[in-house]
Amino acid sequence: MRVTLSATARRGASPLGLGLFAAAVVVLLLFPQFVKSPYALHMMVLFFLSVIMGESWNILGGYAGQYSVGHSAYFGVGAYTTMILMTAKGIPPWFGVWVGVVVVVGVALIIGSICFRLRGPYFVLASIAVAEIMRLSAFNLKELTNGAEGILAVSVPPLTIGGTVITDFLSKVPFYYFGLGLALLTIAVTWVVEHSKLGYFFQAIREDQDAAHSLGISLTLYKNIALVISAILTSLAGSYYAVYVGFVDPNTVLPLDLSVQIVLISIIGGIGTLFGPVVGALVLVPLSEALRSNLITQAFFSMGLVSQDSKVGIFLQENLAHAHVLIYGILVVIVILFMPEGVLGFVTRLVQKITRRDA
Amino acid sequence: MAILEVKNVSKFFGGLAANSDVSFSVEQGMIMGLIGPNGAGKTTLFNCITGYYPPSRGEVTFDGRRMNGLQPDKVCKLGMARTWQKVRPLAKMSVLDNVMVGALCRTNSLKVARDVAMEQVKVVRLEHKLNFLAGGLPIGERKKLEVARVLATRPKLVLLDEIMGGLNPAESEELIQLIFDIKKDGITQVVIEHDMKAIMRISERIVVINSGEKLAEGTPAEIVATPEVVAAYLGSEH
Repeated sequence: MRVTLSATARRGASPLGLGLFAAAVVVLLLFPQFVKSPYALHMMVLFFLSVIMGESWNILGGYAGQYSVGHSAYFGVGAYTTMILMTAKGIPPWFGVWVGVVVVVGVALIIGSICFRLRGPYFVLASIAVAEIMRLSAFNLKELTNGAEGILAVSVPPLTIGGTVITDFLSKVPFYYFGLGLALLTIAVTWVVEHSKLGYFFQAIREDQDAAHSLGISLTLYKNIALVISAILTSLAGSYYAVYVGFVDPNTVLPLDLSVQIVLISIIGGIGTLFGPVVGALVLVPLSEALRSNLITQAFFSMGLVSQDSKVGIFLQENLAHAHVLIYGILVVIVILFMPEGVLGFVTRLVQKITRRDA
Repeated sequence: MAILEVKNVSKFFGGLAANSDVSFSVEQGMIMGLIGPNGAGKTTLFNCITGYYPPSRGEVTFDGRRMNGLQPDKVCKLGMARTWQKVRPLAKMSVLDNVMVGALCRTNSLKVARDVAMEQVKVVRLEHKLNFLAGGLPIGERKKLEVARVLATRPKLVLLDEIMGGLNPAESEELIQLIFDIKKDGITQVVIEHDMKAIMRISERIVVINSGEKLAEGTPAEIVATPEVVAAYLGSEH
């Protein structure tokens, strides 16, 4: 008997799963107390960012089955709004973020009214086209976006509540906690969606639009609800990224690459599941970093598999880092081919198989 | 009192008239059979009634309300629900979840929906498959699932599109009993079926459609005695 992951999840989380999750949160909360390395904190920020983007996309793509490959649009709108308000108007980001959310809801509803007329592959193409329009607009609306030069924020104003300074954003630690908070927020939102009428309607639309329609589900309404939730969370990710990096330009916050990356987090991890995007981020972030920074070649050397001076060693050292995009691509294809339900689905099946053999 | 009235409904696809000038009415609580050879336009008529196609001409009135131009979800909310000839299970959801989606048409509470769904799953006798994925069910059980899902929307009228198609005699018999059970609950039914023996047994009135036009209407006894119907099914030689 095959039971869906989401169906079992809905019967209430297992005490083991809940315990693991709580333990992970506690470890993550304490992490900066013990690890001071800026590099490690930077990696964690990238990890949180991936989780936020993946979970956000998953609500629309994974649950409602609307494969948007244009989520960079919402990421970019959030990032730009926050940055423009901060640099041009001096509005601190923790207010700007919410303006970004309001703007992104408007943008999402416009995009939704165009793209949701289309189904399947046509919807995908339309979503790409609309995101490209946004990117090109950012290039050309120079008064607003400063075009290809982008917007640079030299410093982030300190966060104060009633005069007391909460944080001055001088280290990576505040960003770490903001990232963790946002990641937990997106997971919580996904959990609430999954355990409500929305989750059932989204999945019904994913499985069969006409059947869903005949069962009293308004397709326009519920697709747009899924899109708006997803877009708001993605814009939060965009704002967070922009403030963290302190720089936005069309090619970093609005490119097609980014849209594809966002989709991959869910697909690799496990689409339409609560923790799929977390697993996806756990796989993809270290993988892309290890490939990019030549960590794998170094590991080969230190394990003594390849000598540093041998021909192979020199070849790897010179070329592996350059080929990281290629290798990344090949690994993604392998995962999609052999784990159609993502890493999380694959591992769950494996565990089921083993426990059944024992029983 | 007529709960459903179909008045002069026509549906054209380009120059092809899939339905032309079809009229009939269905009384509250009755079982109305809709028969006709393949391609006669029965399913198109269902699509016109339930909002999937706007009728090119004519009018559909349900429960005293004009239905033309209403979307399928609105139609369902007003109490008219249909099943699909080519079954449409929500494949990656469990049997219970499928029926719950139907029940959520009337409630926001998952708990209420679950209770309603359990009840309907029992009505169609699928309780042993509660947590199975709908996509893995054999055809007979998929047809039952369609019916359970539709009943969970608490309809006043259901349109059943060939729910016995492709079933063995034992399964068909179960579904016939199910149709009688539904009638006992006071739900009006319009049934498309190819199995003549079954449709004659369950229907109180029958409408015959051929090449998009209404050929005859009457009680089962009157229908079998109509020469045009015999001709449409068997050819005029007989």
